[in-house]
Amino acid sequence: MTLTESPVAESEAAADADGAAAPASPAETLGAPRGLAQPFMTNDAAQVGRLFVVTSLLLGLGAAVIGALLSLGRTDAVAPDDLFGGLNSYFRMWTLYRVSFVLLVVMPLLLGLALAVVPAQVGAGNVAFPRAALASFWSWLIGAVIMIASVLAGGGWGALDGVTGNESDAMALTLLGTGMVIVALLLGAIVVATTVISLRQTGMSLLDVPPFSWSMLVTAVVWLFSLPVAIANIVVIYADLRGRQAVAFGRPESPDIWLQLDWLVEQPAVYAMAVPVLGIVFSAVGKAVDARSSRPEAILIVVGLFGLLAMGGWSQDYFTAPQDLRDGLVYVAFGLAAVVPVVATAGGVGELVMRGSKTRDRLLSTPMLGAGAALKLLGAAALVGALRVIEPLDLLETSATWSVFHGVVAAGLIAGVAALATWSQLLLGPIQQRLAVGAIVLLGAGGGLLVLADLISGFIADDPDLMALALDGNAALNGVVLIGSLLVAAGLAAALLGAVSALRQRATAVSEPA
Amino acid sequence: MRTTELPAAEAIRPRTVVVGALLATGAAFMVFAALVSVYVQQRQQAAALGEEWFPSGAVELGPAGMMMMTLALSIVTVQWAVQAARAEDRPHGFIALGVTLMFGAAVINQFWFVYQDTAFAIDGGRAELLFYAVTGSFIAMLMVAMAMLTVTTIRSLLGPFGRDLAHAVQASALFWHMCVLCYFLVWYVVFITK
Repeated sequence: MTLTESPVAESEAAADADGAAAPASPAETLGAPRGLAQPFMTNDAAQVGRLFVVTSLLLGLGAAVIGALLSLGRTDAVAPDDLFGGLNSYFRMWTLYRVSFVLLVVMPLLLGLALAVVPAQVGAGNVAFPRAALASFWSWLIGAVIMIASVLAGGGWGALDGVTGNESDAMALTLLGTGMVIVALLLGAIVVATTVISLRQTGMSLLDVPPFSWSMLVTAVVWLFSLPVAIANIVVIYADLRGRQAVAFGRPESPDIWLQLDWLVEQPAVYAMAVPVLGIVFSAVGKAVDARSSRPEAILIVVGLFGLLAMGGWSQDYFTAPQDLRDGLVYVAFGLAAVVPVVATAGGVGELVMRGSKTRDRLLSTPMLGAGAALKLLGAAALVGALRVIEPLDLLETSATWSVFHGVVAAGLIAGVAALATWSQLLLGPIQQRLAVGAIVLLGAGGGLLVLADLISGFIADDPDLMALALDGNAALNGVVLIGSLLVAAGLAAALLGAVSALRQRATAVSEPA
Repeated sequence: MRTTELPAAEAIRPRTVVVGALLATGAAFMVFAALVSVYVQQRQQAAALGEEWFPSGAVELGPAGMMMMTLALSIVTVQWAVQAARAEDRPHGFIALGVTLMFGAAVINQFWFVYQDTAFAIDGGRAELLFYAVTGSFIAMLMVAMAMLTVTTIRSLLGPFGRDLAHAVQASALFWHMCVLCYFLVWYVVFITK
């Protein structure tokens, strides 16, 4: 920031193509907490959003490293048992990797973006409940620490090879951490949704809300309908696990606990973290080419439809015979229909590009590249998801499940980077283009390899079961998965580096004497 | 003065607390609905296998019906509190909130009796475990609702009813109504259809 620019001017400059004027950032006004007190006492949701973004990228890097180690375990180079010190440890890391990317990386990353961007887009000075937003961040972080520490201490979501002693206590702690993280995310979602519903500028109807804010409203509703089901699962498991011999749902020596929660990382629930991707894509492309859609209501319908198809609490198959649910018409219809909104989004993006300014600079801008890559990966994930539910292909319980997961996660991460570049002034500050483009390319390439390798592996798997998804597969494909995992880790490192350097620039600019 | 020079009208902020409470209430209801779904599914599975769910006569309908009646009455009293808060009528507000809290305490007391009466062991089997998971979750939610009402009562003691407090009472009432709905599910699923 130059000497002539005030934080208010910066926010106003960030008023995006969606037309909303960004208000002054309350934390940067006189009397707001500064220094070390700021992260604990701030009333500024944008500040909370930055905390979410940076912390989730940091946790994402950790999760990606675990992913790379797990991929190494799939190759012939190292036996999985040796890599982590036993089958149970491998299973703990295998589950931690999946849960982390959903609850500790992509969801909080997008929530953080929303806390910073949504108030400006709807013309609110701040979010509806700023202290609840701060409580959401700290309870999420504490829950994440409890979850990770308990997994490392021998907890996790069940075991495959029996238990010896006090693992069930650590598992109870893992459940507590998981529940806390989910409640924190729900609190953040309520804050965002209430801001969109109640604090819109006078005269702005819900149909006028910019695509990203609309997508976050849809996301919040989807989370509010889906994530509480996981809390109910946790309540039942916890009640069984604590204090005495578990009788049914919380047997620590089996993978039962994981099997009651794995629906969170499988389709359709996994799409719940991809709904904002559509909003980011529309907003980023619109801003990049300086164009508005001729049919904004169609964008709202497309995003809403994808949200509807991402409702996933009903899809857990632990309590019924898997074939009863997953061969059922609803599950198949959801799987096939998820492709429609993604294709419609591609059409909408095409229309924006046709209507907008098509200079080389705009078409090759970072938001444009990010939006394109995120949409392609989400499209690939939705396509694999559609193939997965076609019964004759026999892909349901194969690594195709993780192909969908990896596609959605990579799309979410890339959309996050694109959003950091699109709303740089509202978020962290100008992010270095080389790092942003590097992150997008690496995440795109890594995510693409993971989607492709897991899909092919799904086609050639002989007798898939829970651990076969992790340990079995073709040697060459496992090598590809390892390369993909390393690329994703490198992409996250580049994104984190870009975020931290942007934050440092912002801090330097703010501390410059006027 | 030209129209364009007039200051912008103050934005109308429609009941933010109530909207937030509505969303939170929806999420809490989803938790409970999922718990009841698991309960029903497991009971159906047991029935399909010809297994007994609860021992005959172990779960009495009388106390459960009494709780349903108590909570039905509390719907009236909590709405009485909302109306009093809207009308800034402190005496009626206090009485209504106090009576509602008393009804809540009575239901918890009645549940304690039910637990003593049934004498289920939580590790007795799936039925007993789910019985405690469902009813325990309901009691936890009822306690949250009572805490919300207690806070609004204390706040109303500290000053006059105003727009903010009226919204807080309305938000608490929303959560309370959801609790009553949840108990209706418990009453029907756990106690009536057994």
